[in-house]
Amino acid sequence: MEDSQTENQLDESRDVQELGEDPQAKDELSKGPGPVSRRSFVLGVGGIAVLGGLGGLRFVPHGSLVRPPGGQDEDRVIAACFRCERCYEICPRGVIAPAHIEDGILAMRTPTFDFSNDYCDWCQESKGGEPLCVKACPTLALELPAGATPENTILGKAVLNTDWCLAYRLIGCRYCYDACPYEAMGLDSTGRPYVIDDKCNGCGACESVCVSLKNGSIALGATERAIVIRPLDAVQGGESPHA
Amino acid sequence: MLKNNAARLRLIIPLLVLVIVSVGFVLNSGTGTLSALGWGDIVLLCPLGALGTMLAAKLLIPQALISLGIAVVLIVVLGPAFCAWICPVPLVQKIRGIFGEPKNKGREGQQIAIAESSSGGEVVEAEVIAAPATVVKAGEELSDKEKASLKGCASGCDACASKREKLDSRHFILGGTLLSAAIFGFPVFCLVCPIGLTFATTLLVIRLFSGGDVTIALLVVPILLIVEVVVFRKWCSRLCPLSAFMSLISKVNRTFKPQVDTAKCIENSQGTKCGLCAQACEELIDPRHPERGAREMNECTRCRACVDVCPGNALSIPILPKKDKRLEGAPPLQNNDAGV
Ligand code: SF4
Ligand code: SF4
Ligand code: SF4
Ligand code: SF4
Ligand code: SF4
Ligand code: SF4
Repeated sequence: MEDSQTENQLDESRDVQELGEDPQAKDELSKGPGPVSRRSFVLGVGGIAVLGGLGGLRFVPHGSLVRPPGGQDEDRVIAACFRCERCYEICPRGVIAPAHIEDGILAMRTPTFDFSNDYCDWCQESKGGEPLCVKACPTLALELPAGATPENTILGKAVLNTDWCLAYRLIGCRYCYDACPYEAMGLDSTGRPYVIDDKCNGCGACESVCVSLKNGSIALGATERAIVIRPLDAVQGGESPHA
Repeated sequence: MLKNNAARLRLIIPLLVLVIVSVGFVLNSGTGTLSALGWGDIVLLCPLGALGTMLAAKLLIPQALISLGIAVVLIVVLGPAFCAWICPVPLVQKIRGIFGEPKNKGREGQQIAIAESSSGGEVVEAEVIAAPATVVKAGEELSDKEKASLKGCASGCDACASKREKLDSRHFILGGTLLSAAIFGFPVFCLVCPIGLTFATTLLVIRLFSGGDVTIALLVVPILLIVEVVVFRKWCSRLCPLSAFMSLISKVNRTFKPQVDTAKCIENSQGTKCGLCAQACEELIDPRHPERGAREMNECTRCRACVDVCPGNALSIPILPKKDKRLEGAPPLQNNDAGV
């Protein structure tokens, strides 16, 4: 304990020493006590410049993300989310995850989904359908418009990759079809599941149960599950999500 | 009683906060991090987060306004006590102790550091006044130039006091934090806030072990944190906008301030030099002679280091200042207290 105390004092004296190294700053001061020393001014302006540079990130486009309920207005999330982590902490199903730096520096640590183990049921099971994440967000970054329901709030869309799906490789599988709570999946004549886009709200149930990466015969080159939830604009943009 | 405990508590409490947040995260209890601590609807937001998001979203957020009010009241009553007792940054800065350069360990290091500061300068003077005991010890090692600067200071301590900055770099950063949020439309500072990064690191580690979530952020976040507060040691006193916010509001603070019972101070009772309290103060305050310290009382974090170090037990942190004890050399009469 004492050691650390001494150390702290040391830091201060080192601190002092560094301050004293700038004879010009001293001159500046002795000319007349201004409200701010030159060193403070330089450090302060430097800090503001760094903040300005970081602020410029606003204009760097980042890929869209699947957001928890109430996070569908992307500008609102970016403006109001201060990365307090309350939403991901409170989610009873543990499906909210911090966005990674790979999703863009600006988006880093804002809430997105991780459907690897579970899906978003709008807190049906634990809260009777009142999303806890929305309730927990103190800055209204997550806020649902009046009359929002799981059916009319589109978090994203499920996209099925037929190259990687077991059913399309003639290994019988329909876990995703069975899991979908919104009847947004159908089976074709040969029993292969497909997504009914109009009905899918991106809840993630299908992704959370997909076994394509667990099965013995993983498709060559498969980097993620055969069915994944994509942000709405990524799907509507018409690009192949697996491109 | 509190003597050894205060320093220990100041380590234990932030550690406990980290543990509670981690446990809360694992159990989905919704306690939140220090950015927004609370249960259910009662949440105390970081005042900068509250201001920043409201400016960025151009929106009055009720929860943020309420928190801001509570935070201001707490700061008016307690000053920047958050810094000494709750903030995890000093804890993170302990990492420095692990990799610390051995030559700076112990008292010798301190003397070297002081002797090395031979180029003179305003704060050197301040430190010299604040720590006469140290100067005597390091006396032989002073260069002529330094002696000259010491003599210059003999002209009076008011000169030093008037050289104190009204605003420092932290206040610039505070301004930049609020301005950038308003201009760019997102809470820019929150991206790099070391308090936020500390919790982000904790959370990323938990996610790594619980879900195998591997991301570059696992490297970037802690590195950024370490660069900010460990490599750049003076984060708290030079850059932290939260500290700037608290120091501004603390200007009206009147409660829980360290106070010296001048009669008990050994400078009076034994007529010897002391100044240990000023030496102990990490905020460069001189509790015995507040006008001499490099910084003013509104920066006092209530760390109790001065109280604990005082050989005469002259210092205390009373709820309200006791006026009569300020009288220089007043005898410690019982009825002094009763008289008011
Ligand atoms: S609504 Fe509930 S289950 Fe869905 S993300 Fe929010 S907290 Fe999690
Ligand atoms: S609770 Fe709100 S402010 Fe906090 S991290 Fe989640 S979305 Fe952002
Ligand atoms: S298809 Fe998948 S994401 Fe869409 S509603 Fe069904 S389970 Fe949810
Ligand atoms: S669970 Fe996965 S592998 Fe099985 S049918 Fe659905 S998408 Fe294909
Ligand atoms: S004046 Fe005393 S209590 Fe206040 S910061 Fe300095 S050492 Fe700590
Ligand atoms: S440490 Fe105590 S005795 Fe020494 S100068 Fe400060 S108040 Fe006086």
